[in-house]
Amino acid sequence: MKAAKIVFGLLAVTFLMAPLVTILPLAFTSSDLLSYPIRSFSLRWFEELMISDAWRMSIVNSLVIGAGATLLATVLGTLVSLGLRRSFAFSGILKSALLLPMVVPAVILGVGMQITFIQLGLVNTHVGVIIAHTVVALPFVIVSVSGSLAGIDMRVERAAMSLGANPLRVFGHVTLPLMLPGVLSGAVLAFATSLDEVVLTLFVAGPNQRTLARQMFSSIRENISPAIAAAAFVIIVGTVVVAGLVLLFRAAAQRQKPSTVTV
Amino acid sequence: MTASMATSRASGRGSTTGRDGSMAASSARVAAMNGASAPFIALEQVEMMFGTHRVVDQLDLTITRGEFVSLLGPSGSGKTTILMLLAGFLQPTAGSICLGGKRIDHLPPHRRDMGVVFQNYALFPHMSVADNVAFPLRMRRVGREEIEQRVTRALDMVQLQHLRDRRPAMLSGGQQQRIALARALVFEPSVVLMDEPLGALDKQLREQMQLDIRDLHRRLGLTIVFVTHDQGEALTMSDRIAVFNRGRIEQIGSPTEIYDRPASRFVAEFIGETNLMAGKVTTTGPDGSLIRLDSGEDMAASAADWPAAGNEALLSVRPENVTVQPVGTARRTERVNIMQAKVADSVYQGDHLRLHLDCGQRRMIARLDRQVADYAVGTQVDVVFQADNCRVIPT
Amino acid sequence: MSAPQEIKTASARAMLLGPALVFMAMVFFLPIWTVLVQSVSDPAISNALPATVAAVAEWDPHTAPTIAMQEALAEDLRAIDDPQILGDVVRRLNSQQAGFRTLISRTSGALNRLADDASIDLVAIDPRWDDPIYSQAIAATMSPTTDRFLLAAVDMARDAAGNIGTVGPDVSANRDTFLRTFAIAATVSLVCLLIGYPYAMLMASSRGWVRGVLIASVLLPLWTSLLVRTAAWYVLLQDKGLINSALQWVGLIDEPLGLLFSRTGVVIAMSHVLLPFMVLPIYSVLLTIPPNLGPAAASLGANPIRSFLHVQLPLSSLGIASGSLLVFMSAIGYYITPALIGGPTDQMISSLIAFFAMGSANWGMAAAFGVLLLIPTLLLYVAYDRVTSRTNGRST
Repeated sequence: MKAAKIVFGLLAVTFLMAPLVTILPLAFTSSDLLSYPIRSFSLRWFEELMISDAWRMSIVNSLVIGAGATLLATVLGTLVSLGLRRSFAFSGILKSALLLPMVVPAVILGVGMQITFIQLGLVNTHVGVIIAHTVVALPFVIVSVSGSLAGIDMRVERAAMSLGANPLRVFGHVTLPLMLPGVLSGAVLAFATSLDEVVLTLFVAGPNQRTLARQMFSSIRENISPAIAAAAFVIIVGTVVVAGLVLLFRAAAQRQKPSTVTV
Repeated sequence: MTASMATSRASGRGSTTGRDGSMAASSARVAAMNGASAPFIALEQVEMMFGTHRVVDQLDLTITRGEFVSLLGPSGSGKTTILMLLAGFLQPTAGSICLGGKRIDHLPPHRRDMGVVFQNYALFPHMSVADNVAFPLRMRRVGREEIEQRVTRALDMVQLQHLRDRRPAMLSGGQQQRIALARALVFEPSVVLMDEPLGALDKQLREQMQLDIRDLHRRLGLTIVFVTHDQGEALTMSDRIAVFNRGRIEQIGSPTEIYDRPASRFVAEFIGETNLMAGKVTTTGPDGSLIRLDSGEDMAASAADWPAAGNEALLSVRPENVTVQPVGTARRTERVNIMQAKVADSVYQGDHLRLHLDCGQRRMIARLDRQVADYAVGTQVDVVFQADNCRVIPT
Repeated sequence: MSAPQEIKTASARAMLLGPALVFMAMVFFLPIWTVLVQSVSDPAISNALPATVAAVAEWDPHTAPTIAMQEALAEDLRAIDDPQILGDVVRRLNSQQAGFRTLISRTSGALNRLADDASIDLVAIDPRWDDPIYSQAIAATMSPTTDRFLLAAVDMARDAAGNIGTVGPDVSANRDTFLRTFAIAATVSLVCLLIGYPYAMLMASSRGWVRGVLIASVLLPLWTSLLVRTAAWYVLLQDKGLINSALQWVGLIDEPLGLLFSRTGVVIAMSHVLLPFMVLPIYSVLLTIPPNLGPAAASLGANPIRSFLHVQLPLSSLGIASGSLLVFMSAIGYYITPALIGGPTDQMISSLIAFFAMGSANWGMAAAFGVLLLIPTLLLYVAYDRVTSRTNGRST
């Protein structure tokens, strides 16, 4: 029984981790083929990312679009979370509706956005892609910020009021500092979402708005090369950094929860 | 209508018994009873509705400067709502709240000048202990040096100077409690409101804090409104206790009044433990009342002006006022009630012995000094209790 | 709460919610609405030929075309100055009735050569105008709304008389794609459940660094880009990839299995991507089950299997339900993974939508598939919402 557990555990962890572990070394192959074995190592594919116009532009685009979408989604999502903090008539339905972009298949949204964005003149523009990414990033910000707001003991804010803080100062001195970890991890999730978005980009972006994910998608389809592994390496390292930051924010949020330990 | 009757009845009783119970009363309460100073806090006909649910029902309550008043009651009885109304987190649906003669019920919490101590302390988790205590002073734009002095003094008062740079999460419950207290007192509010502040502490620490808070109250002359569901806590700390039930005050008075002379069945049963016997009042007068129990016996009770003769009533006697003697040895007099009973169970409780007694249809509980005697289960005994310890309560 | 205060909170709330609601209305709900509208709209004829539509409405389709209709059609055709609009009209009419392509081009060419005030005789230009079948085609296409996209999406169509019938599998095989989509999603959900449930149990029962490793193994892939994971599976599954090499080296197979561009490959990659969504809900439910229930059941005489079946499984059923709903709901909308890992016969509804929208700009068909995919997705979301709110209600 115990042995079966260990074997299952190892197999499952292997299944989960194998893809991440196998693709990383291929970034350093000197071969033109994206496959094992690796005969010799080189950094040529990282150079390719830097030198080739297509890859370089896609990285810059991803950073610009990611930054824009993160900013927009974080501001809108934080405001929404504050507005939905106290429940009111239909607030539950409203929140479910705002989380719908997580659920609606991206291709459907892509078709609708393409038609709408043509009418709005947003198709094939950076602003259009930023807006599209913001729509799918927004739910992550809302979930994250709402979660951190729900963790704030309302009595702490009441205490601030009773101690002489007007509503604005209660927000500035108490609510905002306490919700900040949630806002920051929401922003990180928004950026990660934008970085990984392909489908909406396919529908609303033109050749000048090609993002890194979009570039990876077409090179897997058209001319697969170890440059993909190099791009994957960049993204995974970014993800690990991002995950570290999220854990750090979570830990910070955890530390701030008032302990109810007796003695 | 019935509510105001209940409160006027309660305060009427408070003033009659206040005279003979004045030994135990604090000077503040005496002042209140004599009407020497105007009420400091006055709630008049306050009503609070949550939707269609009436949480506070036409409530009147006055509190004198320097008084320690406990609001005691089961959960949902409206006591915490009163505190939230005083602090300004809620607005009454009707009635008025005055502080020092000025109406405050329209003021937001930050302009009410009340220090609130919350159940789970509600310390700011992202600020150090010193910053927590300094917060109300910063909000009042007190100068930096003065803040430093007053924070130091407040932390000295609760003896936690050495923890001033810690975060609240690193403190024990008792320490957090003291910080919350220091924070609520540092800006010298005109009233301190406490919402079950000791509920999360263990028994020993709770008792220590009870004494500490009472000491602070005396030393600083604070006006304190203290919400609790723990009757022992209320009895220990308060000048007066207001017993809440279903949004109304059932009775308000000193701890001895509340315990020895409960004005209603609810109060008698909620505070301590009591034996209740149903009957009908036959005579009432200044020397005592007589009540004929449903089982036919006549019982003498202490003086009561209400309910009038002929009314249904309950006779209440506390278990510690009930004694037991070997059968046939007790003698009934005008001021001593006796009853025949059989010992149904005898429970050893360390410092005392609890006897469960079968008196015909009725069950009684007697709390005996354990040295008195041991009574085997099934023994026939005489149950004895003094008329002065019996209280007539309206049904 | 007093009335002015309620107004104050309401206006503060409006200021907080307003920007996001306007934003979402413009760029989320409007696009979704556009898809819904697009799936039933057919405006080419009613927009381009307004006078004809009015004249045809008064015509008895069993009689020969009237002069008024011919004059109206001539007027409409002359008024069209955008060749793209004319092209739309021709395409739409030709799809209803073959022959319209030559008929319209000949007619509009002749009309352009005529003087503005010359009398019009369409039958003289082309005798086919005398045949009511062409006028009937105009009548059939003039409504601005249509159900033909939705019908075509499920392999159905109306015949000339307007009766709905099924189209043969040689013409259209969309139903197969729907069935395939649901079959792949169900297989993926099952695989995720079979791996995910024991994995969640293992997570819940382990301690210390073991639990840390197990949790990290779920969260790291979850946080890794979908594209990276799909690319990785591409590397692993190819004929010279690690899986085939390893199996050949062990000697289990002689020839590569052909996993890439196959159904098996799609299921493996999608299960990997969606596994965390199964593990995490089950894990969080398992954590709420008191650990002494197992020993309690054992002390009451249940063997481990019966104790699992009668105690743990029923208590974790809500976790299973929410995990399965989440995985299935996400799977039916998948596009990237089947597009990159699957072969032509492994494509799902999303691929059809992308094909019609991007490949042939056929918005009507793309939207019709979108609607038919959106409906089950939203139903599953509602069910998921119910299940999770019950889970939360129970754990608090």
